[in-house]
Amino acid sequence: MIPSLQKDLEATFKGVEVTVVEDSRMSVLAPRDSIPVVLRYLKESGLDHLALLSCVDWIKEGKFEVVYVLTCYMRNDTDYTSDQRLHVLLKTEIPREKPALKSVIDIFENAEPYEREIHELYGVHFDGHPRLIPLLLERDYEIPPFRKDFDTRKYVEETFGSIPPVEG
Amino acid sequence: MDRNQIAKWLKSPAKMANKYSLHAVYFCTGCGIIEIPPVITTRWDAERFGIIPVATPRQGNLFMITGYVSLKTLKAIIRTYEQMPDPKYTVGFGSCPINGGMYWDSYNTIKHLDRYIPVDGWIAGCMPRPEAVFIAITHLWTLIDKGKADGYLRYQENYAAYRRNQEMLFAELEWPPLYPCDSIAEEARK
Repeated sequence: MIPSLQKDLEATFKGVEVTVVEDSRMSVLAPRDSIPVVLRYLKESGLDHLALLSCVDWIKEGKFEVVYVLTCYMRNDTDYTSDQRLHVLLKTEIPREKPALKSVIDIFENAEPYEREIHELYGVHFDGHPRLIPLLLERDYEIPPFRKDFDTRKYVEETFGSIPPVEG
Repeated sequence: MDRNQIAKWLKSPAKMANKYSLHAVYFCTGCGIIEIPPVITTRWDAERFGIIPVATPRQGNLFMITGYVSLKTLKAIIRTYEQMPDPKYTVGFGSCPINGGMYWDSYNTIKHLDRYIPVDGWIAGCMPRPEAVFIAITHLWTLIDKGKADGYLRYQENYAAYRRNQEMLFAELEWPPLYPCDSIAEEARK
């Protein structure tokens, strides 16, 4: 399954780099604009489960790397032992200045909370997302807290360290 | 009934009844709540000590904070605490509410719970065993007997200071300010 998928991907899309990590696992690096088409193509090839949407801050390179973790649902018991098991990491790199990416909610509906989370923790904007409002955090942060240049110690000192004890 | 306690029962029956029927608010925070099901079910059976979990804070008088407190949880904790009827007792469970524990440098977790709501006692450990809960409860009985479990009274006395600390974290508290405390809070800010 994986070798044919690798050939198909490299033949169909321009600028896509495929690395086979293991027998049933591969990593795909795609340019930013082709993410929706590649994702739709992978979904139609059997990878119908978006397990996770994650982000990595490569501060020295000045890039964010957004990672889509795709697997496929097991429909029969025999799938667990056969070579039907697939695990694909679809990655794309976006610049750190004004990071923006197209939302993939129309392909995978469950991407909605993941995109909201990445928006609030990394400050990546997702075009076409219906509600990019905070998901977990309660306060406003000047720099989104999961970025590498967010100084956690300083923030904690200023915020929680400044609160005085009430008694004694 | 313990015969030695008859004098206490006759002297202040309400206090004794309150002491032996602690109703714990079933409020889950962090990982510590995993120790509470064995405490209230047959293995350790908290009902021997008169503790049962209740569904709503308006029926409870024992509030156990069982783990790290994030900002969003703190908001819910304050609301829950203020809904409980007096007298009410708060117990911090585990090292995270005491001083932040392993979340000391976290951007979203408070360090000292007793700066936002009053706490009557602490159970140290990460995690405390269920036995530690019962040791804490017997200590709480002693405190109630001596009149030292007075967190709800301290909350009333120092409400301005508690409220100031709460507002330092939440710039826009969504519940309205209380009437007599407005002027006191203004003074406290100065």
